[in-house]
Amino acid sequence: MLRWVVPLVCVIALAALPLTGDDVLIQYGIDALLFATLAQAWNILGGFTGYVSFGNSSFYGLGTYGTAIAMAQLHWPFGVGLALGAFLAVACAVLFGIPILRLRGHYFAIATLGLSATLAAIIANLDISGKNIGLILPLTRADNAFYEEALLLLIAATATVAWIAKSRFGTALLAIREDEDAALVMGINTTRYKIAALALSAFFTSIAGGIHAYWITFVDPAGAFDLTLNVRMVIMAMFGGPGTVFGPLVGAFVLSTVYDVLASSISTAAALLFGLVIVLAVIFMPRGLWDLAGGFRRDGARYFLQNIRAHRL
Amino acid sequence: MSTVRLLQAMSLTKRFHGLQAIDDVSFELWRGEMLGLIGPNGAGKTTLVSLISGTLEADGGSLFFEGKPIDHLAPYERAHLGIGRTFQVTKPFPRLTVLENVAVGALFGFGGGVRDLKEAREQARALLEFTGLAHRADQQGDQLGGPDRKRLELAKALALRPKLLLLDEVMAGLNPSEIDEVVTVVKKIRDSGTSILVIEHVMRAIRSLSDRIIVLHHGEMLAEGEPNTILADPRVIDAYLGKRRA
Amino acid sequence: MLLAQILLNGVLLGGLYGLMALGMALVWGVLNIVNLAHGAFVMLGGYCVYFAFAGLGIDPFAALPIAFVAMFALGYVLQRYALNLIVRSAQLNTLLITFGLDVVLTYLAQLAFTADFRTINPSYAGANVTIFELTLPLLRFAAFIAALIFAALLWVMLQRTRLGRAIRATAQNLTAARLYGVDPARLYALTFGLGVGIAGAAGGLYGMVSQVTPYIGATLTAKSFVITIMGGLENPFGIVLAGIVIGVIEALASIYIGPTFTDVISFGLLVLILILRPARSMRTA
Repeated sequence: MLRWVVPLVCVIALAALPLTGDDVLIQYGIDALLFATLAQAWNILGGFTGYVSFGNSSFYGLGTYGTAIAMAQLHWPFGVGLALGAFLAVACAVLFGIPILRLRGHYFAIATLGLSATLAAIIANLDISGKNIGLILPLTRADNAFYEEALLLLIAATATVAWIAKSRFGTALLAIREDEDAALVMGINTTRYKIAALALSAFFTSIAGGIHAYWITFVDPAGAFDLTLNVRMVIMAMFGGPGTVFGPLVGAFVLSTVYDVLASSISTAAALLFGLVIVLAVIFMPRGLWDLAGGFRRDGARYFLQNIRAHRL
Repeated sequence: MSTVRLLQAMSLTKRFHGLQAIDDVSFELWRGEMLGLIGPNGAGKTTLVSLISGTLEADGGSLFFEGKPIDHLAPYERAHLGIGRTFQVTKPFPRLTVLENVAVGALFGFGGGVRDLKEAREQARALLEFTGLAHRADQQGDQLGGPDRKRLELAKALALRPKLLLLDEVMAGLNPSEIDEVVTVVKKIRDSGTSILVIEHVMRAIRSLSDRIIVLHHGEMLAEGEPNTILADPRVIDAYLGKRRA
Repeated sequence: MLLAQILLNGVLLGGLYGLMALGMALVWGVLNIVNLAHGAFVMLGGYCVYFAFAGLGIDPFAALPIAFVAMFALGYVLQRYALNLIVRSAQLNTLLITFGLDVVLTYLAQLAFTADFRTINPSYAGANVTIFELTLPLLRFAAFIAALIFAALLWVMLQRTRLGRAIRATAQNLTAARLYGVDPARLYALTFGLGVGIAGAAGGLYGMVSQVTPYIGATLTAKSFVITIMGGLENPFGIVLAGIVIGVIEALASIYIGPTFTDVISFGLLVLILILRPARSMRTA
């Protein structure tokens, strides 16, 4: 019962937030919801198969530019723009995924690192994308609409992950994460499942990019294909609990808030503390906040020592 | 045992960095047969199993399963055809429960597996019962001790519903009474019609299980025949004891 | 500019890239840690030499051992008291923790040293020799030679000393250190210290041929990574050579294609190499 009541209450509370009429809060909300979606989308591949992608910022960038090109250059409606962005991102995920997903561990992670830089360089040289300067989108809507769309997207992404966690598809992804060689002899077409996971991840990431582009009404190559955005997705998902349904959301909301509070005071100290939090989190709660919540209730402070004992040399 | 060929290996060859791991090995395995594979350490037994399961690609020769060539099939495609294997160094999925470990096989095994998660779990539960692991169903894969890890390895391979089961030293490290248990289980598997290729160092087990034995030595076929003949063959005894003399 | 001159500049820069990547390869190969803070240690090494030179008046080449020792000590402590605590957890966690370290070191450097550009400019910085039509800048040439000397010393240390043999054995098998009578925790710390010390020395050289700011770490980490993969994790000569190749490619690309594309080209190369290499050699990482 509680498993459904808590998320439901959260959703209702989040949906009611625009009623406060507080602009700053709503803007923070859009940002946090989009970040949570990005972390959740990253979780589909990273959390379930263990493949660390630094290529998700390129799916974000393609979603951004798909929407921007459709609206600013072709004068198509927003929805068509989102679809264009999603199409580009999913196509890129499949085409790039086929050769790249044969690589394992660090090699995969690093191969994806170059994708964003490459796409940014291409976009910066195309006329239709406004070259280096970028594109300006029509300014037409109030923040509330973006807020509700971001919330819907996050719900859709989370529902997808919840389905994955209980499905045959998800079982295949987990088996790949746990031992890919064993998964292969157990009859799992690992390549197909990995590509499907990457494509799903790309889909939600690109839609988030599209919403963000229309919201801030401006895109440029450096901002759209920003690798630090990808790093934040990874950290939020890892911090909350990779491979779980709600962990990445918790991680995203906690870190968004921490970062926002800190950044408004002193930015250098904020970044410093952010780094320190990551270091300490990896040492003391390597499976994320979600696991910490359960472990702490069970073992108290001994939970931290158990983690260190299990992973130290 | 019938006279229908299930698996046929023709002139299989595999090299690792210049080392000849498998050298021109040909043999066949009949439907319903239990074929023993023995040889001293480093003879190439595990390599041969990996070639059949597709974990390794052969450098030369060919493999036929039910009369069709399988050389270019990926490991998962071979699993769909009905080839299941265990690993000598056991490979449980560490953070899945024992039940989930086995259910993976049911979900993706012979013919592509079953679609329904619940049905897969039921099949898995029956197999845990069969292999004596039922009481461990909810533990994580990495929490099992040695003998239970071997049992899990066997249950996972069985969950694929294989026509050919490749057992790579599932009895290594077990005590005599545990070995007897596994021998009983393997006999039951054979009686249900599954063909088995079994690598084993426990001679007592291999003698009582095998219909026929092939012997590998330095990657080559040294001998082939009835268990009693093979185990009395001076060449085979030499291959095993020669090392000790040297 | 003359093609030969561009090639020469690339080779001279590439030597230092090769040294830098050797440090990363050592840590990666032996400890299976891809150190995302590697570039940050290069950056700190650059500051060490800068302040030894600008503050204390020590010749920058004489200050290289200081940078090496300082970074070695820092690396030793970090591995001993932080990284050793997580070496057996998921691979992603080692990536994450070194990323966190990178952030901490970068912003500590910003607080301590400000974001100003620093260049190590000894009196002989402008000197050069002309051979035929080629200009050989002496400082860059000396930095190139120093990089090769450091690389050679590391190689001799790994081949000839007891500690070196223990380190190499540990790359094959995690517990091999014990066979050499070395406590694994100490061996890990020593290895990480060595890798980071090499980064520090490379940073000193980098400060002589380029500029040091708190933010140079990330791209240098990426470069070290590309070079390590190109050269082959277990092949020190390959790595130095790959460093030189990347140096040359960068020099060529920045002249003929434009500086924005240099990163794209080295990443493109990296992806190509990764895809074309046989899958088997990628299994271990």
